[in-house]
Amino acid sequence: MNFLLVLAPILTLAAGGVVLMMLDAFQKEDGQLAMPTALLHFVAAAAALALWQRGIPADGAALVAPWLTVDRTGLFLAAVISVGGALASLLAGGYLAEHKMDRGEYYPLVAFSSAGAIMLAQSGDTLTLFLGLETMSLGVYALTGFRRSSARSAEAALKYFLLGSFAAALLLFGAALLYAVTGHTDYAGIAQGLRPTAELPSDLVARAAEETLRAVHTRISIFAMVLILVGLAFKIGAVPFHMWTPDAYEGAPTSTTAYMSVVVKAAAFGAFMRIMLTVFGDVGSASGTAGWPAILAWIAVLTMTVGNLMALTQTSVKRMLAYSSIAHAGYILLGVLTAPRDGVGVTAQASVLFYLAGYAVTNVGVFAALALAGRRGAEAVSFDDLAGYARRHPAAGFALAFFLLSLTGIPPTVGFFAKFYVVRATLDAGYTTLAIIAMLNSAVSAYYYLGVLVKMYMREPSPGAAQAAPNKSFYIVFTILVSAALVLHMGMSPGRWLGLATEAVTPAAAPTAAP
Amino acid sequence: MIIHLGHYMALSCVLFSIGAAGFLFRRNVLISLMSIELMMNAVNLTFIAANRWQSAVPSADGTAAPVIPHHGHIFTFFVIAVAAAEAAVGLAIVLAFYRLRKTVRTDAADMLRG
Repeated sequence: MNFLLVLAPILTLAAGGVVLMMLDAFQKEDGQLAMPTALLHFVAAAAALALWQRGIPADGAALVAPWLTVDRTGLFLAAVISVGGALASLLAGGYLAEHKMDRGEYYPLVAFSSAGAIMLAQSGDTLTLFLGLETMSLGVYALTGFRRSSARSAEAALKYFLLGSFAAALLLFGAALLYAVTGHTDYAGIAQGLRPTAELPSDLVARAAEETLRAVHTRISIFAMVLILVGLAFKIGAVPFHMWTPDAYEGAPTSTTAYMSVVVKAAAFGAFMRIMLTVFGDVGSASGTAGWPAILAWIAVLTMTVGNLMALTQTSVKRMLAYSSIAHAGYILLGVLTAPRDGVGVTAQASVLFYLAGYAVTNVGVFAALALAGRRGAEAVSFDDLAGYARRHPAAGFALAFFLLSLTGIPPTVGFFAKFYVVRATLDAGYTTLAIIAMLNSAVSAYYYLGVLVKMYMREPSPGAAQAAPNKSFYIVFTILVSAALVLHMGMSPGRWLGLATEAVTPAAAPTAAP
Repeated sequence: MIIHLGHYMALSCVLFSIGAAGFLFRRNVLISLMSIELMMNAVNLTFIAANRWQSAVPSADGTAAPVIPHHGHIFTFFVIAVAAAEAAVGLAIVLAFYRLRKTVRTDAADMLRG
């Protein structure tokens, strides 16, 4: 029965989603499912933590083995996903009620998507990678289009769906080509198959044939690697595959935007790091697919720079946050691409996990604070809407300012240490130029984050314009308080959290770094 | 002429490219959905053909005759099932979009930009 134990976080969320559907069918009035959904996510997080504390049963992990990798990295990501999902569903409880679209189907979709996200983060086989990705994404597409009366919401869902499915098809074709070359769908098997092992035959004709075959295989596997890289780059919103991100973030209900930027990002990055390091991690070898860190370096530089430059020009806060999330994806990519370097693997991977956790709590907080500023019929989305907001409503204004400072990377918030650890890993790996570009970008980003603060504290709204006022939602306030506490705690004692992240990657590092 | 794995791979690459080109260049959402479906079918073809050319491995307990693993076949079933689910969600989104905008052309999706 131990395989049930190791699957506990996924099973909790999947079974809980079914229960939520039943609850929704039998409840008299809408809008009481936010709390049960949040509790469900917290139970899943607790299950992941309990597994971490008491040790993962080896026989259970072996039973699910090639399909799902239940190791500490997976549990760490499962906990981040669950806590992020819990906070996002609490936020939904306040936001959806305020905007009169609190229909019950939102919450089962969240639960199923989170189950898919954990599956994606723990996947050890291209089949579970695909299944987790789709289970997560199909739910999120529906959540994006949840505001059915809004053409913007429908358009966001349409764009997200089309590009997401296209990306999934690219990823699948990559998996299919790898299967054709290696005969395996599990990561370890593919990695094994990509390494040229057998001696070339001595017979000249057979030798020539074998050499031709190997050359073809190398080409196909490089093509497959690029397809998988592009497919996952779509999901994490890396430039030049980011086109859907600002549209989907802007058009989706704010609670869905928070969910997307936290859960989807953490899961996709977890899967991305695992597949790149396990399958193509043999950077030193001549297996032909070893060139990905160089490709990724270019993507990371583009992602940071384009994300930040585009964010500078935005007038909508939500859209600005979307571009900022692209820029943050660029910083995280630095950690991923330095991981295969000798000697920095553990620090780099730990910095990625730390960044994902810190970014998750910060981003839920910032979207919650933004949702708090909006009332029914008057959502505060543009910079101008927020003029004078913090002077009229100091507490609510300060909440938004606090999370924006964390995104900027100002101590003692977690944002500072998240960037610090990633840049340090990049420097340790010897990529000085990349580290400098990241720091320059971080300086640029301060301009637009602080621009919101300037609006809130130093500008008055133009006469006659609608004035943003916070709604009195208990759910949203609670979400803000919990995420603010986490942001502060992670910022005050970052060493402890980094220690956890290091512990998460250390035992897994041996099979991960050198498969 | 003997048909072998290379031919199937070439065919599925062509199918996949047609699907990708259709997705990138056509402006009708329904055509985009069909193109994605075509790409998925190219994937299925690759999996099935590659599975046909798998060599047998020793059976699990080592006593029975060597068996041919069916990972490719199984993968194909999953792809078919997920593609159906994807089409369901996708068509629902297209319907929602059509109700509000009275068109299914992607160039009409221009409210969000910048």
